[in-house]
Amino acid sequence: MNRALYLKELKRNRKNATIWTGIVLAFTLMILSIYPSFAEMGEEMAKLMSSMPEAYARAFGIDSNTWASIVGFYSTYYGVYITLLMGIFTASTGATIVGKEERDGTAEFLLTHPLSRAAVSSTKMAVLGTLFLIVYAVQSLVAVAGMAVFGDDVPWETVAAMHAHGFALVLFFTGAGVLLGSLLSVKTNFMGPVVGLIFGSYFLNAIARSTESVEWLSYASPYRYLQLHLDGGSMDVAWGACAAFVAMALILVAVAHRRYLTRDILG
Amino acid sequence: MAAIELNGLTKSYGTSRGIDDVTLSVREGEMFGFIGPNGAGKSTAIRTMLGLLIPSSGTALIMGQDSVIQGHVIRKKVGYLPSEVHYYNEMTSRELLTYHADLMGLTDTSAEMEQLAATLELDLDRLISDLSFGNKKKCAIVQALLHQPDLLLLDEPTSGLDPLIQNRFFELLEARNAEGVTVFFSSHILSEIQRLCHRAAVIREGKITAIEDINSLLAKQMKKVRLVLEDGHAPELPTGASDAHWSGSKVTFDYVGATSDLVTWLAAQRVVDVTLNEPDLESIFMNYYRRES
Repeated sequence: MNRALYLKELKRNRKNATIWTGIVLAFTLMILSIYPSFAEMGEEMAKLMSSMPEAYARAFGIDSNTWASIVGFYSTYYGVYITLLMGIFTASTGATIVGKEERDGTAEFLLTHPLSRAAVSSTKMAVLGTLFLIVYAVQSLVAVAGMAVFGDDVPWETVAAMHAHGFALVLFFTGAGVLLGSLLSVKTNFMGPVVGLIFGSYFLNAIARSTESVEWLSYASPYRYLQLHLDGGSMDVAWGACAAFVAMALILVAVAHRRYLTRDILG
Repeated sequence: MAAIELNGLTKSYGTSRGIDDVTLSVREGEMFGFIGPNGAGKSTAIRTMLGLLIPSSGTALIMGQDSVIQGHVIRKKVGYLPSEVHYYNEMTSRELLTYHADLMGLTDTSAEMEQLAATLELDLDRLISDLSFGNKKKCAIVQALLHQPDLLLLDEPTSGLDPLIQNRFFELLEARNAEGVTVFFSSHILSEIQRLCHRAAVIREGKITAIEDINSLLAKQMKKVRLVLEDGHAPELPTGASDAHWSGSKVTFDYVGATSDLVTWLAAQRVVDVTLNEPDLESIFMNYYRRES
């Protein structure tokens, strides 16, 4: 790993990371801060929930029991929006962090220095890992603080399990973004494929949850294995699934790394 | 040990041509020209030497080390000036050159940076995005020289530079070469190669067609001669003249031979005006290849 490149890349991604982290934090705070109002609505909210189409409610993990606690309420938005937003940021950054140098023509500058390609790739992955950890850690801290402020008797084990699943899921999407970046042309606008992959995975699972006849679809989605919706009131860490998806993320990054070592650099 | 040793170096891009079986050797301390028309494969050869492109076959040894396996070690000793400069637009030249020094593992290069920038009239504190092509090229020259490399790989280095700065750049190159730095100078402008280099390789359609001592190349170089003679004077053209076209008292012809013989012949004619032109590169090549074949 090269220190000068690491610092330069962090600085280069600072603005983008700040914007995305800000969006995720604002959203997290907004959800948690509106929970007390929902809770006060009591029966009216329960009526509203029961009026929703059953398939729709199942698809998005919405029901009156789930929304009876701040963790359940938060889990709906964590699964639908927060992990998607974090995944889009880290996966799109992963897809472009190496290829951007080629797209902008600066790869020639970088790779005519005494840096091995392995050092360039591993340094860029270290930057990506740092950005991932920052957005994940800051969001988790704000979520914990928000639940402590706006909720009562928070089941912290369930929160920890949900965030462990979120960690593995977003890391997997990040690895998939890195691999996409190595497979597609550097001139590709990666936002489309990345958003497609993440939203596609989510909706595949949502559709499968909504109708039993297509439940088999969920096997193709990581959301099946890494539960985020609080369906039954509590949640345990799926250690096996977490380990599997973290391992898959590392394998995807390793494949992209190997491709980078042996391919031509565009000028 | 040769500074550069290319052995059967080939780079192909699927069906399109890159370079084919390029073999040449550049001695340490030599100024070596690499001349060929646009698209001949000059940049491909240099980018392969730097390890940016993976050779399809053959090897490139730079200061005895393989460009693919030991590329990162080689690049510590190499200054590279690309034909087209692409930098980080959000940086100033000073920030970029400091970043370059950091990547090179250098500590304090500010004095050298200031001196080179002053020589080339480069404002170090302007954003890269605000620089003209010529000024970006000046920044690239400072970058190539700043870390005191043992070998300079220069790819069309003068494009975008005005004649004054070109001249200063050539003086910098000559000074570095006098200190023992090897210079590999790629260009499609023959006069630049003539001025600086000891030997030159000619590349055409990806293949090396000749490696010549510059004096030998000059001796074989064709000149385009245009004469306006006094009315009624139509002498026999000198030995070495070809492709003559008469129009009244005016004649143009190609000349290959000793310049002194041409001057002696001209002195004996009733000449109103004379123009000797360095022909364009394609004409030199066509003439050169015709004679070589």
